[in-house]
Amino acid sequence: MMTRADWVVVALALALLPCLYFTYWGSSTQGEEVRIMVGGKEQMAISLRQDRRLTIAGALGVSIIDIHDGKARFTTSPCRGKQCIHTGWLGRGGESAACLPNRVSMVVVGREQRFDSVVF
Amino acid sequence: MRRFGGYIAIMLALLLSACAKREEPLYQQQLLTFGTLVEISIWGADKSLAQHASSQVGADLQQMHNDWHAWHDSPLVRMNRALAAGESVTVPVSILPLVQKSITLSRASEGMFNPAIGRLIKLWGFEQDDLPIGPPPDLKAIDTLTKQRPGMNDLILDGSQLRSTNPAVQLDFGAIAKGYGVDLAIARLRELGVQNAIINAGGNLRAIGKHGDRPWRIGIRNPRGAGVLASIETRGDESILTSGDYERFFEYQGKRYHHIIDPRSGCPATGVISVTVIADDAATADAASTALFVAGPQRWRETAKKLGITQVMLVDDKGRMVATPAMAARLRFEVDPPPKVTVTPL
Repeated sequence: MMTRADWVVVALALALLPCLYFTYWGSSTQGEEVRIMVGGKEQMAISLRQDRRLTIAGALGVSIIDIHDGKARFTTSPCRGKQCIHTGWLGRGGESAACLPNRVSMVVVGREQRFDSVVF
Repeated sequence: MRRFGGYIAIMLALLLSACAKREEPLYQQQLLTFGTLVEISIWGADKSLAQHASSQVGADLQQMHNDWHAWHDSPLVRMNRALAAGESVTVPVSILPLVQKSITLSRASEGMFNPAIGRLIKLWGFEQDDLPIGPPPDLKAIDTLTKQRPGMNDLILDGSQLRSTNPAVQLDFGAIAKGYGVDLAIARLRELGVQNAIINAGGNLRAIGKHGDRPWRIGIRNPRGAGVLASIETRGDESILTSGDYERFFEYQGKRYHHIIDPRSGCPATGVISVTVIADDAATADAASTALFVAGPQRWRETAKKLGITQVMLVDDKGRMVATPAMAARLRFEVDPPPKVTVTPL
């Protein structure tokens, strides 16, 4: 026979489950937000969960950053070499890309960083 | 009823602890300096110390960039002008260690790492922050510069007096300066009392200490396609560094021209798309990764041995991956399925 205390314990245990799920299984290494900087100063931190297109004004002109499917990338850049665009999609915590001529950079930040830093 | 209260309190406490965002004593800062994106990560230091230390490092790196830049008006440019004129110059204190280290590493690599080819680098247009756009330089011009065979052996360094016996020598420290800058930055952090840190200057990385109770985890970019190919956990103080043909390149009529110039041909080195090395310091790792890239699939082992590098991973232009046993033991692949790696002793 379950007492009231048992019910409370069961209810609390169930309430705990989602927390456990997000803490330990919930794509903990997938990037959660992208921090965008201009000239090394943070301009915004945007969630990767919602697809969108960002227009960032840099030193040379406008860089366009697309967020799609939990990833972010430079799509358009006023620089000559387009190295920032070549870097491609960034999705995991610790991945970063920069457009030096336009002074725009971004880094993906996850709940638990899969990588502390990435060499390229 | 009192006991229920106790249960509830315990469960609530557990709930809270499960959901609370764990505050990590990790400080991270990104700077656009030294002609690249510099990431500084500091673990376990007081926030004000971490902030102070990273702004110091930022200022140091900017100063090095000004001193060592090969084509803006800098002490190095003035030195190069004198060398070309056959004059003896006093090497500025800020450049001397870089010259000494470069001479040693260039000799050890038998010229595969060769910072004396500044003219070739400039001819290709890779000395600037932004990338060149095609077409590639005229073959005759490349040939003329290559035939003059500028090398570090043409330099005579006596104390801080330097002269060149070959007027074609122009120093460009692009393949070592960032690594050496990272070494100096790490020394600065230590001097300020930071024990656990990573400095990553555009892929030139050195790590000290740990991330709390675990080692630092470093990702290595996939040379083809986006994302991370493999990761390595650092051991104490070491440098992990990659040279790749994807870092800086331009394309002209469908052909890729990358920034790692082979001093023998005067053109971008062929046969390899990326080389990752682990070494004690970043200057050595920087120069060594370039030297092994230039040495190519046939000769890299010999060059690694001469440079005393035991941990190497190389991807050739067919996408085949080779690693030394010491490196293979540390690689954790981050792609599925993991690639085939040929493990080969030096």
